[in-house]
Amino acid sequence: MSTPTAVYRHIQIRDLDADALVALSKKMKLALFRDDMLAVQSYYRDKDREPTDVELEVIAQTWSEHCKHRIFGARIEHTLDGRLEVVDGLFKSHIKAVSERIFARKPGFVLGAFVDNAGFIALDTERAVCLKVETHNHPSAIEPYAGANTGLGGVIRDILGAGKGAKPIASMDVFCFGPPDTRQESLKAKDVIHPLGVMRGVVRGVRDYGNRMGIPTVNGAIQFDPAYTYNPLVFCGTAGVIPRADIDKAMRAGLQIVAVGARTGRDGLKGATFSSVSLTADSHAEDQSAVQIGNPIEEKKASDLILHARAEGLIVFLTDCGAGGFSSAAGEMLSEVGGELFLERAPLKEDGLASWQVLLSESQERMVLAVEEADVPRLRELADMHQTEMTVLGHSDGTGILKIWHHGALVCELDNARLHEAPRRHLVSSWSGSPLAADAAADAVIASPAPLLKQLLADFAICSREPVIREYDHQVQGNTILTPLAGATGDAPQDGAVMRVDGSPRLVNLACALLPEWGKFDPFRAGAATVDECIRQLVVTGADPDQIAILDNFCMGNPDDPRELGGLVESVKGLCEAAEIYGAPFISGKDSFYNFFMTDEGPVSIPVTALVSGLGIVMEAAHVTGSSLRRTDSDVMLLGAWQGTPLGGSVAARVLGRTGDAVPATDCAKNMALYRAYYEAVKSGLILSAHDVSEGGLAVALAEMAFSEVAGLEIDTQVPLFAEPTGCLVVEVAPAHRENLVRQLAAAGVESVLLGRTTAAHRRLVIRTGGEGVDEPLADLKALWKGSLAAWY
Amino acid sequence: MIETPTALLPRYPGTNADEETARALRVAGFDATIVPSAVLTREAIAAAQLIVFSGGFSYGDYVMSGRIAQLITQQKLTGALEEFVERGGYVLGICNGFQILTKLGLLPKASLIENTSGRFQCRWVKLRVKNEQNPFLRELPADVDIEFPIAHAEGRLVAPPGEAARYASDGCAALTYAGENPNGSEEAIAGLQNASGRVFGLMPHPERFLYANQHYDRDWPEKSGEATWGWGYYFFKGIYRSVSGEASLLASA
Repeated sequence: MSTPTAVYRHIQIRDLDADALVALSKKMKLALFRDDMLAVQSYYRDKDREPTDVELEVIAQTWSEHCKHRIFGARIEHTLDGRLEVVDGLFKSHIKAVSERIFARKPGFVLGAFVDNAGFIALDTERAVCLKVETHNHPSAIEPYAGANTGLGGVIRDILGAGKGAKPIASMDVFCFGPPDTRQESLKAKDVIHPLGVMRGVVRGVRDYGNRMGIPTVNGAIQFDPAYTYNPLVFCGTAGVIPRADIDKAMRAGLQIVAVGARTGRDGLKGATFSSVSLTADSHAEDQSAVQIGNPIEEKKASDLILHARAEGLIVFLTDCGAGGFSSAAGEMLSEVGGELFLERAPLKEDGLASWQVLLSESQERMVLAVEEADVPRLRELADMHQTEMTVLGHSDGTGILKIWHHGALVCELDNARLHEAPRRHLVSSWSGSPLAADAAADAVIASPAPLLKQLLADFAICSREPVIREYDHQVQGNTILTPLAGATGDAPQDGAVMRVDGSPRLVNLACALLPEWGKFDPFRAGAATVDECIRQLVVTGADPDQIAILDNFCMGNPDDPRELGGLVESVKGLCEAAEIYGAPFISGKDSFYNFFMTDEGPVSIPVTALVSGLGIVMEAAHVTGSSLRRTDSDVMLLGAWQGTPLGGSVAARVLGRTGDAVPATDCAKNMALYRAYYEAVKSGLILSAHDVSEGGLAVALAEMAFSEVAGLEIDTQVPLFAEPTGCLVVEVAPAHRENLVRQLAAAGVESVLLGRTTAAHRRLVIRTGGEGVDEPLADLKALWKGSLAAWY
Repeated sequence: MIETPTALLPRYPGTNADEETARALRVAGFDATIVPSAVLTREAIAAAQLIVFSGGFSYGDYVMSGRIAQLITQQKLTGALEEFVERGGYVLGICNGFQILTKLGLLPKASLIENTSGRFQCRWVKLRVKNEQNPFLRELPADVDIEFPIAHAEGRLVAPPGEAARYASDGCAALTYAGENPNGSEEAIAGLQNASGRVFGLMPHPERFLYANQHYDRDWPEKSGEATWGWGYYFFKGIYRSVSGEASLLASA
């Protein structure tokens, strides 16, 4: 048997011209740009040597869009309606700037943002909660089950690696698919998976990871649009709880670097760079090695170990092995302090891996810890107890230089200060098309509301997600107070999920929103409305409106297309303006680019898709009312400004084939006054139930509230039934409390209108409008709503 | 009477409902300890009054659910569980724990196989207590339906020909689904006990309905007349009274 040796080589780059450098980047699939390659060349000319393949791979991964968010850091020359404005980094000048102003306004609320694996907010004096949402779009397009499986596995590790180890307490999963009824022959590229196949695979991937990990999947959304047929989007989010004292962590010299969890293999090579380019028909064949198979039990064991080690105070620093594998974990831990890793120590799934493969492999279910040398024996005992493997890979040494050895050879030596300086990108974007003329009378032209209501309830945008939701365990850990389906029958839709936290008097809630249909017409208004909807859902499910934090996840097609990038810029601006007024800081975010696909008939891009996920503090369980009717003798009211809402972006407009309507604007300050007043009413015990008006408008909101089958509804109103105004809530209130509620709302300057009442006399939805109304048995409406997706899933 | 009886909860790789089960046991009065299977000993079993196999996916359940856990347990404990039961100890299995118990042979012959729907199902089910003598169910009413959540893909109880009907008539089928049978179990069996009643397994999750506000209906506390506790509390309190020897609430009422 031969002695194992390092497998690496030197690459000649010092004498190449720029074109040859670009060709090399392409050949090695480094996804590095011309400027990047020139910067790399200059580094090695200074060092007076050629790089190793290991070093080039490390740099490519570190500078990848996936890891460095270079588009959010880029200088963008943005033209809005002919006027030039320079964006000095979307992240720095917008998302971070807004958030930091809010941090200053709300001292003590945000306990960490943008630095660690997840952002933290204060739950109570002892505990913090955190949330992270990731995308796993490209892997899920190629292999839906494994892609979604590892997507959730990855974000759970983000939480395990947040601070000195947060305990995952809930997950949320948001998907964008092509419509289930897409015709197979309409797919214009080989090997593309039909949306139904993608949906089934993705849902089962999430199910099998989340359920096995014992983390309840409590919240989510599914959007269906033909634009997502070639580029499905899969967002996976996990929330965690951690003692406040365990949030801060810092590296120092003299620590042992320890890998725990699964072994390292050839799976998942170059995922970070793979996700930073677009998909082609060949991706399905060529990029298989970038997608992996998850093993949730490995991760559960690693989780058991980490939470135990954290409780014993053994962990000094901790991070997950995500994109880039050991390379990015070591980079994060050793980038400033410096240190050495010895690759031959890493336990492998198979022999024969080249040096760069050991370092860059994204094999799942691995975490990297830094611990004191004296604590290594105890950590080993705990690893044995929890039946997970641990290996000391190296140490930190205070030199500021990252040295990676493999069987005695120095395969990588990088000056980390230089390594993290990727050249800044310069981009151009433009957006034109100010909001279309508002068409306030649009709703009046809907002559027959009953057939439209039925059509909407069965529409893929609105119908019940029950077949999917039931496959997720949403109650493991025994802390779910509001489940995604609830009400007296246990199957009526809710606006968010609420979790109790052991030992705390307070609870935490989760919600999410995305409005890609709005974004097609007006990304700025869509951005503001998306933030509004997320906050509205959190408030309706019991959060204190002044204790909410949000996350942004942007997905888009080709950022090199100025019009597409212009949509992103406007979307970011819309989100940020709303966040600032609501005082809801961004605490974390992630972006995904190149979600476009070269079909036989040309490129297909997704619309700019901004997901806003929110984390709210619920002061007590009594504030959780649910979104379903509870009494047969109560009044039903609409809170908020509904007047003059144009139909643009609404489900009704799409179903009716209407174009040319504006997308509704959002008056954030006015809405915030409503949310605060509503919260006061909840605290006073005036609210029986409440539901937000969103997709499908008021008519759908009323029907959904009545799906608890407790009461019939008698509504008499002039409020448009199908417009989708932001900042509107339907509330159920006992008649004895109505006057009090109206007085409280009026004092806060909030509009309200009595819509009607619940009744024991029948189980119908009766809406009188002056014109043709609605009078339908609730059982029929509910059957339409419940059966639509079930027929396909 | 034993003031604070000891409950031991083995945790296998993939067991994931142990913490909330331990919490429910503590609320009911037990001293509950979770023990990773790697450090589980015969002595620890012998020193406990109640052994609880919690829910989850032991070893991933990639082969027959509970099968690997059974083999590991038998290898490590070599008869200690059987001796424990012989000496009067109590054993409970919930969901995956029930699956493990059926494999361990501590219950009448039965197996829990894939639901007839072919799907994992997370939902609340109505249940009926069929054996009032069962020491785990004694604080739950037998004259009305109770509710617990289920969350499983393999909960369909099957038994050798004729056996399920016998369990229904001899009281071993101590808990059954009322109304909808969510997984196709024979005789709608949701919970199965051995002849003494001291070994009991069930698919539903009583530990997930410890508090009244865990119910899906915000009005359940009022409708049930119980502001604080869910049915799960009475389930675990019943075990506590059986194991500790404390008099029953229902008997004294």
